[in-house]
Amino acid sequence: MNEVLTLKNVTKSFHQKTAVDDISFTIGKGEVVAILGPNGAGKTTTISMILGLFKPSAGEVRIFNHLPQEKQVREKIGTMLQEVSVMPGLKVQEILELIRSYYPHPLPMSELISLTGLTGEELKTRAEKLSGGQKRRLSFALALAGNPELIIFDEPTVGMDISSRSRFWQTVDSFAAQGKTIIFSTHYLQEADDVADRILLFKDGTIVADGTPAQIKSQIAKPSVSFIVDPETSLEKLYLHTEIDDIYRKNNRVYVQSSNTDRVLELIFQEKLAVRDIQIERGKLEEVYEELTRGTKEAV
Amino acid sequence: MKIFQMQCKMEIVRVLRNRYFVFWSLVMPILFYYIFTNVVNTNPQDEAAWQAHYLMSMTVFSVMGSSMMTLGIRMVQERLQGWSTFMRITPLSDSVYFAAQMVGQSVIHLFSITIIFIAGALINNIALTAIEWVMSGLWILLGSLPFLAIGTLIGLMKKVETAAGVSNVLYMVLAVSGGLWMPLEIMPKVMQNVAQWLPSYHYGNGVWEIVRGGAPEWKNILLLVTYLVLFMVLSKYIRRKQEVA
Ligand SMILES: Nc1ncnc2c1ncn2[C@@H]1O[C@H](COP(=O)(O)OP(=O)(O)O)[C@@H](O)[C@H]1O
Ligand SMILES: [Mg+2]
Repeated sequence: MNEVLTLKNVTKSFHQKTAVDDISFTIGKGEVVAILGPNGAGKTTTISMILGLFKPSAGEVRIFNHLPQEKQVREKIGTMLQEVSVMPGLKVQEILELIRSYYPHPLPMSELISLTGLTGEELKTRAEKLSGGQKRRLSFALALAGNPELIIFDEPTVGMDISSRSRFWQTVDSFAAQGKTIIFSTHYLQEADDVADRILLFKDGTIVADGTPAQIKSQIAKPSVSFIVDPETSLEKLYLHTEIDDIYRKNNRVYVQSSNTDRVLELIFQEKLAVRDIQIERGKLEEVYEELTRGTKEAV
Repeated sequence: MKIFQMQCKMEIVRVLRNRYFVFWSLVMPILFYYIFTNVVNTNPQDEAAWQAHYLMSMTVFSVMGSSMMTLGIRMVQERLQGWSTFMRITPLSDSVYFAAQMVGQSVIHLFSITIIFIAGALINNIALTAIEWVMSGLWILLGSLPFLAIGTLIGLMKKVETAAGVSNVLYMVLAVSGGLWMPLEIMPKVMQNVAQWLPSYHYGNGVWEIVRGGAPEWKNILLLVTYLVLFMVLSKYIRRKQEVA
């Protein structure tokens, strides 16, 4: 694998508060990775360290085998921060030209203009006069101005409506298809599942799961067998089997959690339990996410 | 180099588009100049000398103001709005960015000096030698450095309102007590003594000497350089403290 980004035992503390706690991962060329987690999980802090805006309190960050602050790294990364900002006093077109001029191999101006989706008239207005949505598209174009190999977005779709969101991801897809590495953070599970081919699931500053959406499901979302059973019936016998991880009741149904659902069925028949309406459920990622993020302290 | 030129050009464009700059640094000084040399009768003994003196006062007033305010307030704005953060991620180095802002400001100052000199010359028909015009312009350009350093200090403030408020008050106090609005000679003795320690007085005095046919005093240069070093050291110290926090 062609390594683009490596974090090794990275920790970031602000005074007493540990925002990111000893995380490690490596991202290879061409991966599309979602940093998924609820508010306050440490996504922005992690991204800030990757971008060299914060120094880790411990551990190290390497991009293309260099420190994030180095110029040769900066020439290869593009970013859109959580707080979108534009340079006041300059017209849209001027800002695009200015930022392009910083990079050795920028994207053509015409391509950047089409990324902003702004009309000729709007290109001549001062950036500070744009609407929130237009500013976001401008900052998207700025992120790509240098034709970066690694693109990093912090919560890029917050505040976008459904159609701009899908247009945004279509564009990102086209960059992913060119082999660019893309890292984005989100607190929408659906988005991570749809867009990313790898999810880093954050909770309270640690990575609680790392893998493809499917792997995460099998890693932590345990399949279960559920059925309806007369409350009088004793389920004692099932508890004796070590293959079964958990048994609980929810909405009139009994759920038997196990990674080997075939074995659970076998046991049910073996013990001749009077159950009906048996269903087998693959773990749902939504439930895992909810489960994992339940009780997480909200960000201030 | 191309990056640097582009950056300077954009910095200049930004300042010129700033309505406050145009008003405070060009319109106001010229208006004041017109009023105090043509409308209000100040009865100077030597009319021509007074007109040249006051033209220099107003040019110094203009350049001092844009050094302290334009740069400082913009630095605070850019930091608060997150633009500085974005710039840190681009390959443009901090020092090039900073240098471009300084050069951009200086070009702007050259522009202000030229405009105000021309306006003054047209309004009152001031007769200075070519050398005197050039030396005056140069003095005002170089003498702005300690005030640019004050600008970077103001740029370290946390809020735009504080930065704007503090720089405005400082600007007015320095201008009035440095003798830029009215000659020190007509002010109380205490004020005259205080002025001897102010950078604004020495900034003005250098160029007043030039249009009087002399040269800036050593004391003028010494004090301005001392202030420049002082403000730069202070600015660096505060920035380091802020980074640690
Ligand atoms: N500059 C800071 N000073 C103190 N605490 C911070 C700072 N930045 C973030 N935190 C804290 O660190 C935790 C993680 O924050 P953040 O990385 O912004 O989370 P996310 O982006 O996932 O919402 C939060 O509890 C937040 O309050
Ligand atoms: Mg965040």
